[in-house]
Amino acid sequence: MSTQKTPIKLTPLHPIAQRLGATFIEQHGWRIPEVYTTPEAEIATASERVALADETPNGKLLIEGEGAESVLMDAFDLGSLKINEGRDGIYRLRNDLFFISTPPGREVRTQKKLMTGSAASEQFVTITEVTHGRVEIRVIGTDSQALLSKLCGLDFHSSAFPNETAKQSSLAKTTQLIIRGDIGELPAFSIIGTQSLGPYVWDTMMEAGKEFGLVPIGRAALAALIEA
Amino acid sequence: MRTEQDALTTAPNRLHPKQGEVIDRSTTIRFTFDGVEYTAYPGDTVASALTAAGVKVLSRSFKYHRPRGVLCCSGHCPNCLVQIGDEPNVRACTRPVEEGMDVHAQNVWPSLNRDLLSLTQLGSRFMPVGFYYKTFIRPQKLWPLYEHTLRHIAGLGEVNLDTPPGEFDKQYLHTDVVVVGGGPAGLSAALSTAEAGAQVLLFDENPDLGGHLRFTVPLESTSTTSRSEDPDESGHASKELPELLEAINQQPNITVFADTSVLGWYQDNWLCAVKGTRLFKIRTKSMVVATGAYEMPLIFDNNDLPGVMLGSAVQRLVHLFGVLPGRQVVIVTANEDGWDVAADLQSLGVNVAAIVEEREPNACSSPYQDGLVNAGVPVFYRHTILEALGSNAVSGAKIARLDGGGEISPSTAQSLQCDLIVTSVGWTPATELAYMTGGKSEYNEDRAEILPVSTPPGIYVAGRAAGTHAVDSQIAEAQQAGSNAAAFAGFGELDEPAAQPSGVLEPRRTSERVCVPGKKKRFVCYCEDVTDEDVETAIAEGYDSIELLKRYSTISMGPCQGAMCSMNTIHLCARANGWTVQETGTTTARPPTTPVTLGALAGQNMEPVQTTPLHQWHLDQGADMMVAGLWLRPNHYGDPAAEALGVRNRVGLIDVSPLGKLQLTGPGVPELLERIYINQWDNLRVGRVRYGVMCNDEGVVLNDGVCAHLRDDTWYMTTTSTGATTIFEWLQWWLQSGWGEGVHLTDLTDIYSAFNLAGPQSRAVLEKLTDRNLANKAFPYMRIRSARIADVPCRLLRLGFTGELSYEVHCPSGYALHVWETLMDAGREFGIVPFGVEAQRILRLEKAHLIVGQDTDAMSDPLSANMAWAVKLDKPDFLGKPSLMRISAEGPKQLLVGFKMVESDVVPDEGLQIVQPEADGGLKIIGWVTSSRFSPTLKEAIGLCWLPADLASQNGAPFTIRMDKHLAEARVHHGAFYDPDGERLRT
Repeated sequence: MSTQKTPIKLTPLHPIAQRLGATFIEQHGWRIPEVYTTPEAEIATASERVALADETPNGKLLIEGEGAESVLMDAFDLGSLKINEGRDGIYRLRNDLFFISTPPGREVRTQKKLMTGSAASEQFVTITEVTHGRVEIRVIGTDSQALLSKLCGLDFHSSAFPNETAKQSSLAKTTQLIIRGDIGELPAFSIIGTQSLGPYVWDTMMEAGKEFGLVPIGRAALAALIEA
Repeated sequence: MRTEQDALTTAPNRLHPKQGEVIDRSTTIRFTFDGVEYTAYPGDTVASALTAAGVKVLSRSFKYHRPRGVLCCSGHCPNCLVQIGDEPNVRACTRPVEEGMDVHAQNVWPSLNRDLLSLTQLGSRFMPVGFYYKTFIRPQKLWPLYEHTLRHIAGLGEVNLDTPPGEFDKQYLHTDVVVVGGGPAGLSAALSTAEAGAQVLLFDENPDLGGHLRFTVPLESTSTTSRSEDPDESGHASKELPELLEAINQQPNITVFADTSVLGWYQDNWLCAVKGTRLFKIRTKSMVVATGAYEMPLIFDNNDLPGVMLGSAVQRLVHLFGVLPGRQVVIVTANEDGWDVAADLQSLGVNVAAIVEEREPNACSSPYQDGLVNAGVPVFYRHTILEALGSNAVSGAKIARLDGGGEISPSTAQSLQCDLIVTSVGWTPATELAYMTGGKSEYNEDRAEILPVSTPPGIYVAGRAAGTHAVDSQIAEAQQAGSNAAAFAGFGELDEPAAQPSGVLEPRRTSERVCVPGKKKRFVCYCEDVTDEDVETAIAEGYDSIELLKRYSTISMGPCQGAMCSMNTIHLCARANGWTVQETGTTTARPPTTPVTLGALAGQNMEPVQTTPLHQWHLDQGADMMVAGLWLRPNHYGDPAAEALGVRNRVGLIDVSPLGKLQLTGPGVPELLERIYINQWDNLRVGRVRYGVMCNDEGVVLNDGVCAHLRDDTWYMTTTSTGATTIFEWLQWWLQSGWGEGVHLTDLTDIYSAFNLAGPQSRAVLEKLTDRNLANKAFPYMRIRSARIADVPCRLLRLGFTGELSYEVHCPSGYALHVWETLMDAGREFGIVPFGVEAQRILRLEKAHLIVGQDTDAMSDPLSANMAWAVKLDKPDFLGKPSLMRISAEGPKQLLVGFKMVESDVVPDEGLQIVQPEADGGLKIIGWVTSSRFSPTLKEAIGLCWLPADLASQNGAPFTIRMDKHLAEARVHHGAFYDPDGERLRT
């Protein structure tokens, strides 16, 4: 039995975005901030200083088990990954645990593909879609490493934390998965952690980022940065 | 508009502008000190501005309240500690003046210049070192009075508890090499390291780089001395500093942290530093310690009198701030540095009343010696100072000749008039960081300094810290240290280390005559007011080892952390014991090297808080939020009793998203469940749910919840809200220990939000939103079903914690608000109410359901906690079984049981004692209340409590609860208070 209201997915950061005066769009069933001020101003800040974007709608899957690597190889023609290494959105966190990041909405298809592969190979793996359980905050900009160094003990220098790698660490006293995914020349890091801690992590980062002129940016600015 | 003329008028000791000063004379700023307004230039420190204004007394000493003024001017001694606004213990010599700054002297009564607490000196013979261990102890009842008085008299600044916490933060840094110290050695080390390709972090505690070169640059002399004729020979490096600074600025591999103190070194090259309100945690591959040296004070009568200054302090004031701290100067020296100061002052037109030189004329090698002598400056060779004359400030110096054996010839004593006594008698290498790394040191008798002789791999010492004072030697030594540090970090090849530090070959700059005997107070430790006599007394009392002496006398435990006193103390200790300095040894260097605020250590306020996706909704409804673990949950929405009645009579909805939700997959799950739960699991069929209790090895209740059999190899477990993380880790621990072979455990707590729709109308509400058949037969009590609720795929669990027909709706968290609002909309026609934790606690108590952690504690086993029905001792094995078998055999001694109050409106507080009158009229504690509420449904006070088993087993048995001011009667109640047969939740 259906209701009159169409189900809409909200990220844990939705109330914060509302408070900050964001305007919203709906994509793949998620209501996400389109813009906070103007796309131009947000792009400029991200390019010159540092900005935060809510990318929670990105699909997120965990695949666990001794056979996880071979299931992934069969499904994606991936090649071997060392721990912390990533390729095409797939990151090896442990020998038997991988994190998969997909564009919004593609997680269902990916999960099905993996489950099919798992069944065919008779490997015992567990594939869990964790999109709803994880908030994803993307830190973008030249000062992103400096900002993160106030909250996390990892070395964010490119030599220690290259692009397309992932590390699990404590950030602002919470456990987070941190993935480096630069946007062109701009350093960018995705901070992925449990959704119930999302508002706290966001607020803590905004507080720590005051000295850098940190601002939130919406989907429009983010898309423009990626396209550029 | 204030002008430079204003500043000069109010600052008579201000010199005219000159190169190298750090003050900006284009404008002025004003501040107050003890209510009097003063003028300063931007760049001035509080101490330099006050000295410029002629203020000599800045503080009073810790114990005797003696007047104290600028001594070191480098942020090491305690003599200029002041209170600025609400901030206590600020070093005036390093804190820049700000417009409107409100500076006060600390711990004075009634005022700084007339401090009546200085009368304590009259009783100083009753307060020798360690007096607080021996006196003011008896009678014991007077100790609070003694303590209050002593605390009032002694001490430093005051903390204002009403001051709002400041903003602090932390930053993590990673690098190849850390160089500590921004003097010529540090700069040179950083450059050679960076040139090798390594990334370098360069730290210096001063606001500007350059170290001693900043204030030992020769002046433009107008006198007849040879002050700056040959700076290379003199050791001055005026030409080196600009070149070094320019090279540093051009070097992209170097990041400079000025005004930053490195507080400590920890294992694996983990360093801690502080800059203002920010704490740095630094990981480095190697480190160069180029921290320079502390100038040693000389111990003589009244050596703490304002107007007695170290030579380097005078040079800082003159060259950095354009301030002349005296007009008529006596310089007491035993090295060439004192002659440097004399040349500096003489070139400024200051009357150098005398140079009191410990050495023979032919032992001196200062390039300024002839010039000063020829200019008519009186020089007293083989002399030393006996006493600083004056009451609140220096008015003269008493000196005397040393005989052939180095003893004082009292008959040669004479007094010289002066307003400034400068001492330059030696240096203590600042090697705390090197020693923290495990470096070793030895006393070098030729140099009279304790010098580092070895350091662990990757740690290098250079410059004055290594005992090297000549600038060209410092630079060469530091370049090699920097290259080696870079090589250790993987950049270049290691050089063979020099056989011995360059400094070892230099002439002695430090006198071993650290103390001149006399009849007045001679301070070794300025921080704690410890004199040389105190040291001798302590040693005579048996505290003869340097470590014991430190602890007993508190020498080096004050704000200077030994910078001013450690070397002198070692010498005094050695002499008193008849040992060598090497035999005496040093105290252990520990972090922090300099005082640091607790705020800086704490950093940014980071207290993780978990919120559910409905948090804003709850706030919008005016919910009173409560903390549960890290979670913020609605306690109630205004009237918890009404909420409870709403559930009993109609329908209510509560956000239970914080419940732990774990998914277990794999063939080994049943075996794992059998081991971790006390009850039976291998017979639970798919689609069914069972309540389970977990115990630890000791049979103590750890957690409870339900577990549902979702599919063949998939199970869905819930835990208590605050225990979710613990149980997840607990299960992982057992999985890694080999239980539950092949089981995959996934934490779904945040993936699913959960709401409990409870009440007789809950089925009617839910039926409006799903096609799933909710009839009792199709979906009975303790079952799980998947269903689309409001077009969202959900898991439905039919449970009964509240005692009513109820459904737990678990939905993907992104849809939480949609599902919740849709349920509320659908329930409106049935009078739905949102209810919070408080109403839930009332409802569960009416059913006599326990809450783990509330009604149980670290001693509670399930047999005693009214859960014997769940304990299956016939299972092969499970956690806690041996303990529970023993308890079962012996029988529980205490039982958790329900109770009703005889006076139905009297609600005992949770935690109150249950007592039994004794024959002697006393009361014996026999139990305690764990939960209690007034039941709005039953209209009476009910609760759970622990009682002796024999009493608890008698339904209706009376017992007594000790209330705040009276005793209250209650009666044991067996079973649930409400719907004891559970018909409502099974309907």
